[in-house]
Amino acid sequence: MKTQEDMKKELHAWIVKNNAKIKAEELCNDTDIIRERIINSLQIIDLLLFVERLSGTSVEVEQLKPGAFKNIDTIYQNFLERQGDEQCNK
Amino acid sequence: MQQIAQITDFSALPGLHWQENGQLSLSGSLLRLYKKIDQKILSFIPDIIFDEQQFSPFISAEQLHKLDYLHGFPHLITMPVTLDSSQASLQAFTAAPLNENGNLNLTNIAPCREVLTPAACYHFYEKQSDTELNGPCYLTTLCTCFRRESAYHPLTRQWAFSMREFVCLGTQEEVQEFLQRFEKALNSYFQKQLWPVIFEQATDPFFNPLVNAKYVVQKLEPVKREMIYAGNVAIGSFNFHRTFFGERFNIRRQGEAVFSACVAFGLERWLYAVLATCGPDEKDWQI
Repeated sequence: MKTQEDMKKELHAWIVKNNAKIKAEELCNDTDIIRERIINSLQIIDLLLFVERLSGTSVEVEQLKPGAFKNIDTIYQNFLERQGDEQCNK
Repeated sequence: MQQIAQITDFSALPGLHWQENGQLSLSGSLLRLYKKIDQKILSFIPDIIFDEQQFSPFISAEQLHKLDYLHGFPHLITMPVTLDSSQASLQAFTAAPLNENGNLNLTNIAPCREVLTPAACYHFYEKQSDTELNGPCYLTTLCTCFRRESAYHPLTRQWAFSMREFVCLGTQEEVQEFLQRFEKALNSYFQKQLWPVIFEQATDPFFNPLVNAKYVVQKLEPVKREMIYAGNVAIGSFNFHRTFFGERFNIRRQGEAVFSACVAFGLERWLYAVLATCGPDEKDWQI
């Protein structure tokens, strides 16, 4: 059972692992990962697939809203929160 | 709001010669109006001196590939194809150049390295490549652009069309100020003209968009806004490229990859907007 903290940690670890430039301690949950070029356009699809694995549901590209992948907090709120809540309530 | 005059058949307008394959010719009063529209657009930001340049309609495929255009928009590309120059190839072609459907019977094709440019501003980035800018750079060009589409309509969707583009290369602040100034000037203009135009977030028409990372990024981090006339015709767009062209072409400002943006206008679509707003009679045309 994954908590909110677990899922944010997994996102954090994935982003650090896939970016050679940023150190783990430099990446916060509100760091803008697209504007600060921490995630480039090629990696965004991989991140999207990772979020799908983490949430257990598919992400509809056509439904994506501006800012949804802005940072770890927004990814959690937009794609994982319900999953985290459901698991916490079990 | 002014009543929009209904022109049911634009292809029947005097001075407009339309071919079903998306090619338009203009003459007389419509050609004069086309030129006035371009002059009007050039006057929107009078205190910025734009360096006007003119380019060939060819752009190298290699250059477009640097921009991922060939992957992103293969359905739009038009290539200038030539025959292999060997005597045998040319001889074979002349024997039966056209088939019964009017299609060219192409024999051997020479290597194709060029594309007919799909956008006006791409030429600028190659030209500015490997440079360090000392200040903001403002550029403009009017170019015939080519985009293959599944269907064509006079003025609103053409294979060959005219694009007036303005480009700013600079710091993020300089580039955003450039976009804001254009948006403000255009807002005032559309209000004054009583044109039903709204500004709307948009994405580029990618091939297989759902698996294209650039499309996904455009959805998440909007960089394109269009000027939509009467709900369905995009008469222009604002495009914030961030440092994409600066990085791809090594154009720098203050030691960093330069930011860039362009504002693009489809002149035939502006012609459409004037005609749809004011009607077919020249004396009613206001720009």
